[in-house]
Amino acid sequence: MIKTSTLPLGRISLLLAIIVWLALVLVDLVRIFGMINNLDSGISEEVTWILEILFFIFVYLVYRRIFWKTRQSDFLTLIWRGVSNGLFAAAAGLLTELIYLALGESKIGTDPFLKNVFYHINFAWTSAFLISTALLWRHLILYQKNKQVVNQWQIFELSMLGALFFVFFNNNNFDYSFLFGLVILLIISILLAGNLKWIPYLNFKEKWKLLLFLFLILLCAGFLFYRVLNFGNEERIQINLTDNLFLMALFGFVIAYGLFSFLVTLFNLPTSSVFEQKLTEAINFQKLSQSIQPEESEEQVLDILLDSCISASFSDGAWIELNPKEQFKVKNPLRFLDESTRAELNSLIPQVHQTWVHGSTAELSQPQTIRLNHPNYKSALLLPLVVNKSILARIVLIKEVKEGFNKEMMSIIGTFARQACISVENHRLLNQAIENERYQEELKIAQRVQKALLPLHLDHPDSFDICAYSNTADEVGGDYYDTYQVDENHFVLIIGDVSGKGTSAAFHMAQMKGVFQSLIQLGLRPAEFMEKANSALSKCLERNHFITASIFEIDVAHQTFCHARAGHIPTLWYKASERTAEFISIEGLGLGIVRNLTYKNHVHEKTFNYQPGDILVLLTDGILEGRNETGEQFGYERIKKIVEEHPQKSPIDLQQVLIDSLHLFVGGDGMIDDDYSLLVVKFK
Amino acid sequence: MLQLEKIKEENKDILRLIGEVDASNSVLLDQSMQEILEQGTTFLLIDGSQLSYISSAGLGVFMSYLDDFSERGIRFAIFGLNEQVSEVFKILGLDRLIQIAPDKSTAIKLAHES
Repeated sequence: MIKTSTLPLGRISLLLAIIVWLALVLVDLVRIFGMINNLDSGISEEVTWILEILFFIFVYLVYRRIFWKTRQSDFLTLIWRGVSNGLFAAAAGLLTELIYLALGESKIGTDPFLKNVFYHINFAWTSAFLISTALLWRHLILYQKNKQVVNQWQIFELSMLGALFFVFFNNNNFDYSFLFGLVILLIISILLAGNLKWIPYLNFKEKWKLLLFLFLILLCAGFLFYRVLNFGNEERIQINLTDNLFLMALFGFVIAYGLFSFLVTLFNLPTSSVFEQKLTEAINFQKLSQSIQPEESEEQVLDILLDSCISASFSDGAWIELNPKEQFKVKNPLRFLDESTRAELNSLIPQVHQTWVHGSTAELSQPQTIRLNHPNYKSALLLPLVVNKSILARIVLIKEVKEGFNKEMMSIIGTFARQACISVENHRLLNQAIENERYQEELKIAQRVQKALLPLHLDHPDSFDICAYSNTADEVGGDYYDTYQVDENHFVLIIGDVSGKGTSAAFHMAQMKGVFQSLIQLGLRPAEFMEKANSALSKCLERNHFITASIFEIDVAHQTFCHARAGHIPTLWYKASERTAEFISIEGLGLGIVRNLTYKNHVHEKTFNYQPGDILVLLTDGILEGRNETGEQFGYERIKKIVEEHPQKSPIDLQQVLIDSLHLFVGGDGMIDDDYSLLVVKFK
Repeated sequence: MLQLEKIKEENKDILRLIGEVDASNSVLLDQSMQEILEQGTTFLLIDGSQLSYISSAGLGVFMSYLDDFSERGIRFAIFGLNEQVSEVFKILGLDRLIQIAPDKSTAIKLAHES
């Protein structure tokens, strides 16, 4: 199958048009020969008509194709093409006239055959010009399509199709039916000529060009029409191709639309600057309303705004003044003025309008006109730009005339300003959002790092089981636990809680880890450890921060543990032999509270013997302070009771029971507003 | 929620804490303490009788002024704490560093003795 788009339809049509034309010339010459010599040439006049119609159709197809290819060109280029066709046709006509003028009444000059050949040539050019111009008008009429226009055009096309075959109906006579058809087609043409919506889109200069082009087209069309009429009256031509309804109607349409366009363009000239101004304003507005692209800055928005305001108000000078608090600078804040003039003018603006404090009402953010007492400049417009309730900048527009700013200007400038402010505000919000996103990411990293600070593996021998759990209120927290194996029989456990919560607590918790892992390797006893840790942390912690900690050194060989407590929540000790639990009470001050050597008086250690089946529950205060909806705390007693009820459970199960109980107690409406951790040890 | 009331009584400043002190509002407590100190107080009492909860951040505020008090010879005591709050002070060991009294008159007496 052949694709239609690959076929050179234009060229085929052109070829066919030429062939048809040649055939037409031939047929007509044969007919004329017959007429002159009173012979029956055997060719009826219908053959001429059919060939003529075919010629019109092929020419139409040729130009249809050309138009389809160049449909994206601008109006003036297209119209220029129409003009050139017209000039060609007119030139051909002129040339013919000149030749006949030169030949005069000589033999060749009166030769009917030559005359007819010229006639046919002129006919072809004229038809080509008319059809191409009609197609050009079609393009312009349908520039802003709506259903009504399309319908109108279709009616016109159908009527023209009818006119094409009209010749069979009235046998090429100039009678009333011809006149009637012509009038109807002219009326439709005039109706179509009202569709001139493309003209306002041209600027001032283009309109002048258009006027020239239209004038040339009208001139050519007029000249060709005049010639066609002359031919019609000439008696020597026995074959009349041009007294054709189709061709006449085309003349009517081309001239009517050309004339209308010419007049409308002419009357549009004086107001064209207003239209252009509005278009510029619309474009400026669109520029301002596009939120600032990442590579652009607020400065650029203000730059566009300043230019837009100047062009909207025809200002003779302008400058932009930034609020001194703003972080950025406008590179080119002055327009059409020098710095000294600016200072001079600025001194004429009342102080009231110079303040950077935004008034409580929206009044101050409205454009304000001011009369200037200056030899050159008479009026000023102040335009404050308010972003997020504070004045970002102020635009001052200056004009040489008194009261140079009308209501429309102020309203459009006010709109510009608001749009620019929205753009700036959006830009700032977007930046803020990005920043927040970044912080969230950073926090996630912090969370990951902090999680890694808590040991995955807890050092312990076969003689006791241990498990740990930690939960933070925020992304990061201040709870800490760790283990350390001194030798095969000695194991150290520590649990700690940094005052406060969140990021600062997390930093201190990391310090605590460092302190523990360094000091514990020195083989310090629990109380000594606390002493040294206090001294080290005193140099690390902020003044209002402290850390509480509990430390256990378990000697599995002797089944004892040595314990020191630095302000931390007492540890619960379940004694299997007595089947009761109690909180180990031992004096001890939190780390970092007393930051001198007297701390050693505040910390003590004590050694206890444990039995198999004994349980130690090390906690942080987040568990104790978990509150239910009535504000009651989870408290020591509940923990004690739970442990006493489940002494047979493994550490991990017991831990789960404790956590579940806490959540059950706190419920949906209560809260655990703190980090909480627990460490459960069960001796075997 | 924390409400702070500053009361001036003869040569004594009393700061009354109403509600809860936690990480979010401990800054307010710190500000009030700072203001009182800047006014050159010599005798500061904290009325904790309406204090229902204090977090470690709140304790940190008191702790951070202990050196200032001893350097400037300012008498300082806390009174009226409920059992739970008082327990928090005790567990941390602050009761050894700060005079904590059941009522105002005892607090004044203790502060004088220290």
